[in-house]
Amino acid sequence: MKLTRRALAPALVGLTLKGAPRIEGGFALENVEQGHLLRDRAPLMRPRESERVPVVIVGGGMAGLSAAWWMERQGFRDFRLLEMENEAGGNARGGENEVSAYPWAAHYVPVPDTEAGLVRELFTELGLLRDGVWDERWLCHAPKERLFIHGRWEEGVEPHAALTGEERRQMERFATRMEEYRETGRFTVPMERGVAKSTAAEQALDRITMGEWMRREGLTSAPVRWLADYSTRDDYGTRVDDISAWAGIHYFAARQSEEKGPLTWPEGNAWVTRRLATKLRTYVRNNSMVFRVERAGVRWRVFTQSRVYEADCVVWAAPTWLASWVVDPPPPRWVMDTAPWLVSNLTLERWPRERGYPPCWDNVIYRSPSLGYVVATHQNVARHQERTVWTHYWALADGRGADQRRLLLGGDWHYWSEKVLADLERAHPDIRQCVSRIDIFRIAHAMPRPLPGVMFDERRQARLRPRDGFAYANCDLSALSLFEEAQYRGVEAAKYALGFAGRGR
Amino acid sequence: MVYVLFLSVFLIAACGLIYELISGALASYLLGDSVLQFSTIIGAYLFAMGIGSYLSRFITRALISRFISIELAVGLIGGFSSTILFMAFTYAGGFRFLLYGMVLVIGILVGLEIPLLMRILRERFELRELVANVLTLDYLGALGASLLFPLLLVPKLGLVRSALLFGLINAAVALWSTFIFREHIGNLMSQRLASFAVVGLLIAGMVYASDITDTADAALYSDDVIFARSTPYQRLVVTRWKDDYRLYLNGHLQFSSRDEYRYHESLVHPGLASLPGAKRALVLGGGDGLAVRELVKYPGLESVTLVDLDPEMTKQFSTHPLLKSLNAGALTEPRVRIVNDDAFPWLERSDEIFDFVVVDFPDPNNYSLGKLYTSAFYRLLRQHMSASGLVAVQSTSPMFARQSYWCIVETMKAGGFQVYPYHTYVPSFGEWGFVLGAQREWTPPETLPGGLRFLNQATMRSLFEFPPDLGPVPVEVNRLNDQVLVRYYDKEWREITR
Ligand SMILES: Cc1cc2nc3c(=O)[nH]c(=O)nc-3n(C[C@H](O)[C@H](O)[C@H](O)COP(=O)(O)OP(=O)(O)OC[C@H]3O[C@@H](n4cnc5c(N)ncnc54)[C@H](O)[C@@H]3O)c2cc1C
Repeated sequence: MKLTRRALAPALVGLTLKGAPRIEGGFALENVEQGHLLRDRAPLMRPRESERVPVVIVGGGMAGLSAAWWMERQGFRDFRLLEMENEAGGNARGGENEVSAYPWAAHYVPVPDTEAGLVRELFTELGLLRDGVWDERWLCHAPKERLFIHGRWEEGVEPHAALTGEERRQMERFATRMEEYRETGRFTVPMERGVAKSTAAEQALDRITMGEWMRREGLTSAPVRWLADYSTRDDYGTRVDDISAWAGIHYFAARQSEEKGPLTWPEGNAWVTRRLATKLRTYVRNNSMVFRVERAGVRWRVFTQSRVYEADCVVWAAPTWLASWVVDPPPPRWVMDTAPWLVSNLTLERWPRERGYPPCWDNVIYRSPSLGYVVATHQNVARHQERTVWTHYWALADGRGADQRRLLLGGDWHYWSEKVLADLERAHPDIRQCVSRIDIFRIAHAMPRPLPGVMFDERRQARLRPRDGFAYANCDLSALSLFEEAQYRGVEAAKYALGFAGRGR
Repeated sequence: MVYVLFLSVFLIAACGLIYELISGALASYLLGDSVLQFSTIIGAYLFAMGIGSYLSRFITRALISRFISIELAVGLIGGFSSTILFMAFTYAGGFRFLLYGMVLVIGILVGLEIPLLMRILRERFELRELVANVLTLDYLGALGASLLFPLLLVPKLGLVRSALLFGLINAAVALWSTFIFREHIGNLMSQRLASFAVVGLLIAGMVYASDITDTADAALYSDDVIFARSTPYQRLVVTRWKDDYRLYLNGHLQFSSRDEYRYHESLVHPGLASLPGAKRALVLGGGDGLAVRELVKYPGLESVTLVDLDPEMTKQFSTHPLLKSLNAGALTEPRVRIVNDDAFPWLERSDEIFDFVVVDFPDPNNYSLGKLYTSAFYRLLRQHMSASGLVAVQSTSPMFARQSYWCIVETMKAGGFQVYPYHTYVPSFGEWGFVLGAQREWTPPETLPGGLRFLNQATMRSLFEFPPDLGPVPVEVNRLNDQVLVRYYDKEWREITR
C-alpha cells in the first residue's frame, strides 16, 4: 500500500489505517409504478375475469386485516381482501436481513388496558395474553428508553438533567394537567367514544393548537415544549405548534396500563399482521391493486388488473383520501393533510462507543429534528450481540405535507443516508465506522395530520357512516394513526358489512 | 533548512523528556511508590545523559552519520521501551534490572544528541547564537513534552503508543537528516534504508499496540498474571500467588483455587446427589469446567452438556496444562459435550430435556446478564427439565447483596419452581448464595459421592439454614420488561465498595 501523507497522519497519532467503511443500501419497498397507475386513473385495461363475491375489502393494512379477522371469527367466509403490495401489513410491515428482523414503520402496541376489549381478544388469540398474564418475552425489555442530552445518555425520554427550578415545575405541572385530562375519561382509545361524550370545553381544545394551549397554561420553557413537540411528531408526524390541542392531549391522557410495556417485536407490528395474514390467507389476494370502484345498480364493481369483483359491499381500508381518485361516483375531497415519513434501517457491524446510560429500546436525541432510533435486536435474548439493526424514524413535520413530500421524494439515497448519519453523529461520533448498510423507506403519505378542527369536523364524521354498502375503515378516519384505531375501524366496518351482506343474500 | 535543523533540536528534546516521563510513570504504575520511582528514574536518566555527553568527545569522524544512527537507536529503543517493559513485567522476571538498564541506555543516547548536533551546526553558525538557539529550543521542547504528556498522551494514547509515537519522531528526524545532509553522508543508501526500516517497525508497533496494551492488566492485579486474553466476549485473566490461582472475567473474580471446591461442591452435590436416576446434565455458564469436574463424579450420568458463550474460555480450560489441571481434565471427558453459544437463545432453539441443570452465570451486574435471571428465563428452563429434574443456580451473596439474592429466589418461584435456598461460606468470596429449584417436593440426599472436601451430611443440612441477617427480605420479581435485579445489585454492591 502506498502511504500518502493523508494516510500517514492518522497513523502517526495512533489510529489504524482503516478509512470509514463503504456503506451500502438503497430505497426499499418503493412502488412507483403502482402509484403512477393510480394517479393516471388506471390504464383502463378491462380485466378478463370476473368474480361474484358478497364482500370485498380494499387494503390489507391492520384495518383491512382486522375487518377480515372479525368476519372470519363470525363464521363469514364469502369475502376477499385485495392488497396492492406483494405482502399485506401496510404500515405494519417488516423486513429482515442476516442480522435481524426489523420494522418498516409501526413497531409497538401499548399494553391494552381492560377497556380495550378488542385488542385483548386478538392478543389472546395470538398467545400474547394467557390467563390474564402478558408474555414477558414480548413486553419491551429493560432498559426501555433514554435521552441524549448535554453530551451523554440519560435514563428516560423526559429531560430531567440540569433543569432550572422553573423548568422542573413546568414539567411537573404539565404532568398534572395531563393526569386531570385522563381523569375526565373523554380521551379514549378508540377515540370516537370520547369524542361522542365531549363537552364544549373539550371541543374548544380542538380549535386551538397544542402550542397555543401550552402558552395559555404558561408551559413555555424549552424542556417541556421539547417533550410535547417530540411526542406529537413521534405519534402523529405533526409539530406542537400545528397539532390540535385535543389530539396532543390525547397522546398523554389516553392510556394508563398497569403492566410495564409496550408490546414490541424485532419486526415491529409485522409480528401481528403476518400472523393475521397467514391465518386469513385463503381470503387475501396480494398484488391486487384496486384502480377503480364503480357503482353498478345495487352492487359495486371493484377493478384490479386481472379481475373485476362484483360485490354487495365494499370495505375501504386503503387510505381514505385515495377514495376520491378511485371511487365512482367520487366522494367529496377528504379533509385531512398527511405527513411524510422517512424510516431507515441501519445495519451495524459493531456498537458505537458512547457515554452514560446503556443502549435502550428507544433512543432519543434531545433537540434533534429526527425521532431517534429503536434497536431492532432489543427483544433478542442473547447476552452478547456483536451486530445489530437500528430503525431510525424521521417525521417530516415542518409546514404542509405537500412541501415536505417534495423534499422527501427529491432527495436521493445519498442525500438521505447522509442526513441520517449526521443526525446520529450527534450522539455517536464514530457511527460511520459501525454502519455497513442503510435501507430507507420513504413513506409519502404516512399518516393523517390531526390539525385543529378535524376531530369534530362534520365531514370527518360523515365518513364514519357507511352508505349503500360502502364502509370506510382506515385508521386515518380517527385522525390518530394508531394500531388500536386501525383495528377498531376495521372491526366496525366488518360489522356493517356482515349486516349488509346478510341482508343482501 | 535552518528551520528544519532547529525543529529537529526541538523535537529530539521533546522525545528525550518523554522517554524519561514514560519510564517514571511506568515504574510508579507497576511498582507503586511514585515519589521513589520518579526520583530514581530522573536521577538515573540525567546521570546517563551526562555519560552520553562525556562520551560524545570520542566521536571524531562522520558526525552526521553517527548522529543519524543515534537517532535511529533512540527511536527504536525509546519507542519500544514501554512495550518491552510491559511484556517483561507480565511474562519475565528482572523487571527493575531491565527498567534501569533501559533508562541508562536511552539516557546515554539522548545525552549524545545535543553535543553532536551542536558540533554539526558549528560550521554554519556563530557560536554565540548557536548555543543560545539550541539550548532555548532544547528547553522549549522539554516544556512542550511535559505538558503534552499528562494532558494528551497518557489519556488519549496510553503509555505504549505514546512511546511508539515519539520513537517515530526520532526516526523521522533521522530520515529527513538523510535528505538534508545528503552530500555529507558516506553510506547514504544504507542510512536511508535503515531509517525507513525503523519507521516501518514503529508504525507496525502502533498498529498492533492494542494487543500489547492488553497486557497492561498486569498492573491491575497484585498477583502475577500468568494468563491474559481478550476475546470478543470478555477479558480473561488468570493470576497466581504462591499456589493460589484466580480467574477474573472482566475484572470480576470467578474463583480462587484455594477455596473454589467449597463453591462447586455446594453448587452441584445437594441437588445431583438426590437424583440417583439422573442421566443428562446441563451446565449453563461455567466454562472453567469446575462444576463439570464435580458432575463427572457421578458414573450414572450419561451426558454432560456445557453451554458457554466463549470458545476461548472452554478451549483454554480444556487444553492449557495449568488451567486444565484445575478442573482435572473434566472438559475432555468423552461424556462431556461443549457448546459455545448464548444460553438463552440456545435454550429457545433446543428441544433437549435434562435431569439436572447447573446455572453458573456471572453476577447480574448489567442488563444483558440480568436477562439470564428473569422469570422468562426460568420458565423456559423448566420446559427443558424432566418432571423430577432439579436446577441449582448461583445467586450472588445473600450477605452483601441480600435483596438481589432473595430477588433471584422469588423470580425462580415466579418461573414455576419450588425453591430451596441455601448458602455456603467461601473465604475468597464471603458468604455465597445458591438456589435449588424443583418441580415437586424435594428432600436432601442421604448419601454423597466419596472424596468431597467440604460437604458431608452435617454441613449440607446447615447450608439450608439462614441466620436472621441473611434471611428473606421483601423484593419484586425480576422480569425481562422490568429488571429490578440489576438495580438491586447495582445499589447493594455500590454501598459495599464505597
Ligand atoms: C413510520 C410509522 C410508524 C408508526 N408506528 C406506529 C406504532 O409504533 N404503533 C402504532 O400503533 N401505530 C404506528 N403507526 C401507525 C400505523 O399506521 C397504524 O398503526 C396502522 O398500522 C395503520 O393501519 P391501516 O390499515 O389503517 O393503514 P395502512 O397500514 O396504511 O394500510 C393500508 C393498506 O392499503 C393498501 N392499499 C392502498 N391503496 C390500495 C389500492 N388501491 N388497492 C389495494 N390496496 C391498497 C396499502 O398497500 C396498505 O397495505 C405508524 C405509522 C408510521 C407511518
